[in-house]
Amino acid sequence: MTAAFTLNAVSHHFGGAAALCEVSLSAAPGERVALLGPSGAGKSTLLALLDGRLRGWRGEAEVLGVPLSATQAPPRELRTGAGFIFQEFALVDRLTVYQNVMNGRLSRMRIWPSLWGRFGEQDHLKTAAALEDTGLSDLARRRADQLSGGQRQRVAIARCLAQDPRLILADEPVSNLDPAHAERILGLITGAADKRGIGVIFSSHQPELARRFADRIVGLRAGAVQFDKPSAQVTSDDIAELYHGTVPGAGLRVVS
Amino acid sequence: MSRALTWIVLAAAILWSATSAEMGLDKLPGAGPRLGEFLGRMMPPDLSVWREVMRGLAETLRIAILGTFFAIILSAGLAVLAAETLVPSTVWRPVRGLLAMIRSIPLILVAMLMVGAVGLGPLPGILAITFHATGMLAKFYAEAIDNVAAAPVVALESAGASRTQQLRWAIWPQMAPVILRDTVFRFELNLRESLILGIVGAGGIGLYVQTYVRSFQYDKAATVTMAIVVLVLASEAVNSALHKRFS
Repeated sequence: MTAAFTLNAVSHHFGGAAALCEVSLSAAPGERVALLGPSGAGKSTLLALLDGRLRGWRGEAEVLGVPLSATQAPPRELRTGAGFIFQEFALVDRLTVYQNVMNGRLSRMRIWPSLWGRFGEQDHLKTAAALEDTGLSDLARRRADQLSGGQRQRVAIARCLAQDPRLILADEPVSNLDPAHAERILGLITGAADKRGIGVIFSSHQPELARRFADRIVGLRAGAVQFDKPSAQVTSDDIAELYHGTVPGAGLRVVS
Repeated sequence: MSRALTWIVLAAAILWSATSAEMGLDKLPGAGPRLGEFLGRMMPPDLSVWREVMRGLAETLRIAILGTFFAIILSAGLAVLAAETLVPSTVWRPVRGLLAMIRSIPLILVAMLMVGAVGLGPLPGILAITFHATGMLAKFYAEAIDNVAAAPVVALESAGASRTQQLRWAIWPQMAPVILRDTVFRFELNLRESLILGIVGAGGIGLYVQTYVRSFQYDKAATVTMAIVVLVLASEAVNSALHKRFS
């Protein structure tokens, strides 16, 4: 089976600042990987790259077996295959929950019927299933701008699931939520991925959540991979060094 | 200090205006009784002219409808050229400047020029409304384009939707209510403004207002006035009923 993604010495700069430095990384199909690190570490940039939205980077990258280009948008097949859950949800406010989720299916439809809103049976079934999975069935007719933040988040997840992705990418999916909500949402995303047998790559700045929901944690700092370990092997020293640059006080053990 | 200066300037402006002999403000006290007499002569309204009045109103309505229709077509094209998010500033800046210039020319002046160009009748009225309304509508449309949030469009692109699908399901839903609201608003303005076009010979009910007032047939002018009030109130009612749906 092809890897979920493979990066080979990928670098990217925003103006003069390095966002990614010689990143080499890969993930097996079905693997749950958390990208952990302080803000500005390059997590969002890395996810945008995997989603094929980054331009002007250097190195080699392949997602779901399709090589990415640094100058051109990825082929439709890849855009459809990689589902992305945006940090700010990116919903169309004036459309209903149902249509927002249906929007995830557009790439699989014939163009004319899709423009007239004549969706196929399969599309309706997949949309209904995604709403069911995210507990939104009762809100299907509600307009997206009439929802709470947590509900909007679930619409964004449902849209991604309706897309039938082969890989889920999620940028800080729970950064705006309280701890109880955050757990539920990450449980929802990873549960749905397991049900479909696909992998999840998500970014977070909360080490506990990363540990709980990922098989593997990649620590990013200043655009470089600082550590890459199975979640169970990540120590509090790893975390401290990731966030503060040093292990707190050489010789001084921090009691936590 | 600057507040005191503001008041002084305001007071000076009013004094300057009122002290001119040509203003004839001394006639003001006599105006009340004259107005009363004038209104008295309007009563009872002469309803026998209702056919002409209806014909005039229908022509006004046609001018407003066609003027709005052509303005929509022109504005759709110009809006793209005036949108900051679609074209470089070397394009949208001059286009917006042009639109501002168009807006600054009073409709009645445009109508007089059009009458000069194509002769009397409803055609100069339609052209004048088209020209005048485009100045505002194209600007509104351009703003609607510029206010489209990018994130949902990016999300659909990322999900594999084609350009047309993004336009249909992420861009249009954001723009449509704004555009419809602005267009209905502009239509109402067009209708009000085309009521006076007839005064300069550019078609519509205005011609009857002028004819009846100039020939001292105030009872007939009263009928026209009532008809105009009814039309304006009706268009306002339709507008506000539609307005509730555009949110």
